[in-house]
Amino acid sequence: MNPSLKLFTVLFISLELTFTSKLWANIIIIIGCLILLIHAGFRWQQFCWLVLVPLFPAIAIFITIVLFSPSHSLFYGLVLFSRLYMYVSLGTVFTFTTNPLALARSLEQNCHLPSKYAYGVLAALNLMTKMKQAVITIRAAGQMRGVVLHWWSPTLYFKAILVALQWSDQLAQAMESHGFVEGQARTSTINIPLTVYDWLITITLIVVIQIIIIALP
Amino acid sequence: MEKILFDDLSFVFDKQLILRHVNATFKAGEIHLLTGISGSGKSTLLKLIAGLLPKYGGEITTGTVSVSTAGQIGMLFQDPAMQFALDTPRHELEFTLENCQVPTAKINSRVISALRFGKVEALANQSISTLSGGQQQRVALSVVMAMRPSILLLDEPFANVDEENRQLLLAQLLKINHDYRTTIIITDHDFHGYQRLNPFVWQLRDGKLIKLLNNQKHGLLQDDRQYIKASLPPVKASPIISAANLSIKRGNKTLLTPATFSLIKNKTTLLTGPNGIGKSTLLKAIAKLVKYQGTITFDSQNIQKISPGKYYQRLGLIFQHANDQFLNVTVGEELNLSLKNGQNSYFTSQQVQRSLSELGLAGREEQVIYSLSGGQKKKLQILLMLMMGQEVLLFDEPFTGLDKESLKKVLNLITASREKYPQTLLIVSHQLNGLDGFIDYHLEFNHQQLKYCGGNS
Repeated sequence: MNPSLKLFTVLFISLELTFTSKLWANIIIIIGCLILLIHAGFRWQQFCWLVLVPLFPAIAIFITIVLFSPSHSLFYGLVLFSRLYMYVSLGTVFTFTTNPLALARSLEQNCHLPSKYAYGVLAALNLMTKMKQAVITIRAAGQMRGVVLHWWSPTLYFKAILVALQWSDQLAQAMESHGFVEGQARTSTINIPLTVYDWLITITLIVVIQIIIIALP
Repeated sequence: MEKILFDDLSFVFDKQLILRHVNATFKAGEIHLLTGISGSGKSTLLKLIAGLLPKYGGEITTGTVSVSTAGQIGMLFQDPAMQFALDTPRHELEFTLENCQVPTAKINSRVISALRFGKVEALANQSISTLSGGQQQRVALSVVMAMRPSILLLDEPFANVDEENRQLLLAQLLKINHDYRTTIIITDHDFHGYQRLNPFVWQLRDGKLIKLLNNQKHGLLQDDRQYIKASLPPVKASPIISAANLSIKRGNKTLLTPATFSLIKNKTTLLTGPNGIGKSTLLKAIAKLVKYQGTITFDSQNIQKISPGKYYQRLGLIFQHANDQFLNVTVGEELNLSLKNGQNSYFTSQQVQRSLSELGLAGREEQVIYSLSGGQKKKLQILLMLMMGQEVLLFDEPFTGLDKESLKKVLNLITASREKYPQTLLIVSHQLNGLDGFIDYHLEFNHQQLKYCGGNS
């Protein structure tokens, strides 16, 4: 499916369900997402993370609604509990099945987003792994100079911000020296197609969800 | 006529006058070699031609620089790690070619020929962050070449590149200059192999740019490479670090198959090997910064059983990227930190001042570290770590960006410090000039094994 349309669909569904309070829509979307993830080769460790990470906030919301809200409604508790998982599942399906480069290319070609944003975000994404490595390096560099940097030490983050500032400047220069000029036309290596089939899936998905929202509680 | 013209140009960066009334002409199709000590302004000059300065900092105070060209200007930076916006060499090449508005149908063939140029076909789909410094430099060169630039600016392009690839890339440069009449401007400190490019040689000194005469040039470009004489460590030498059945991987690639070796206490060991063989990764394994299999012991104690806090008081790593070493903003703050926590009794505050002026860093206490030149950062980095005085220091390419004179001063400083305060050193370096007599033992890393070389190597 076209990455931009996929992003649009995910955002549309999430936003719409934010303004409704339907239980079944959430559950059906979560099940749909799980099927898609299994199909895409999601590993069981990753499933465990998917279940565990939102568990505490979800339980907290559930308990707040059921025990402390004026209505003590079990139904609304379940709606909010499942809604959190719905957001997380949709987000996971999107990130797991979409290549960031394909998304950037699609946003540039199909949505005519200025390439500076498309590639700026992509470059930043590519820096994430480096940032993780940088934090490890900073801590070791600190210890080698007799400074212990705990994860709560302001110095650690100060240095991390310094590094990031450096990188942003160097990255801008690197992009420019590789021929990138803001606002100038670019060609494309791969054309990301936006087909009738993409639109058909998007519209079908949205219509089906409308039916579920209207028909089921 | 296409050319680059400096007309009475003066340039100020971070309140310092870097270039003073520079006059120079670089004609199309010529090859130029810029020389000068670390911090003399070579990178600044290239960035002015590339149009990155004064856009990204600094100010032109007199004169102009004009670059008349119809084509692209390609620039290779000193630090190869920081010139990629995308994740793999292939994607970076595609991004670059798209920027240059190469038609879709031609992109693939241009990508392939660029990869071939830098001999990095096998690395095309690997994540750039997993490549070694030398490999990154070759990828960066390929990307710049893919642009088919009419002007090619190379800032110390071979600093981390091994000898074989250096010769290969020099031959490639000669070829593109011949085939496409590309103007090439290179900065370097190590001049061997340049003779056959027959470049115009310039010297940048005290902000002035001087074109060298032919006889001066030939003296400079002479191949004065030295070979390192090292002996085999004696059998009963006492080791400080020992590795048993050590194997290391980077991603899926095996770098070291079970190897057993030791580093001799209070001696200097040189570690060499081709690009991407795993030298930096080996240092990081010894410094407990990457995972490995087998055991490494420090003073007969398994390093996994020593807490990082204690371990790093006894072992220090001089990172390949100098920026990784610094924790503060100004030179003075860094020096104070090392003075406060350092164990090396050689470095009293008077000695630090003497060393600073020796290294040409005196009076820069207020300066922001990140505005120092590549070579100045290297010198400061080495000084700061020497002051810390760990029993073992691991050096990862410490001499890149250092001119001959600076290198000599750095080596003298290390020697003087060790006379008073003995330390064990392990040094990774492609740059072997001037190291003869400084090295006790020579460890060679090749074919996933480590071996001490003896006699002439």
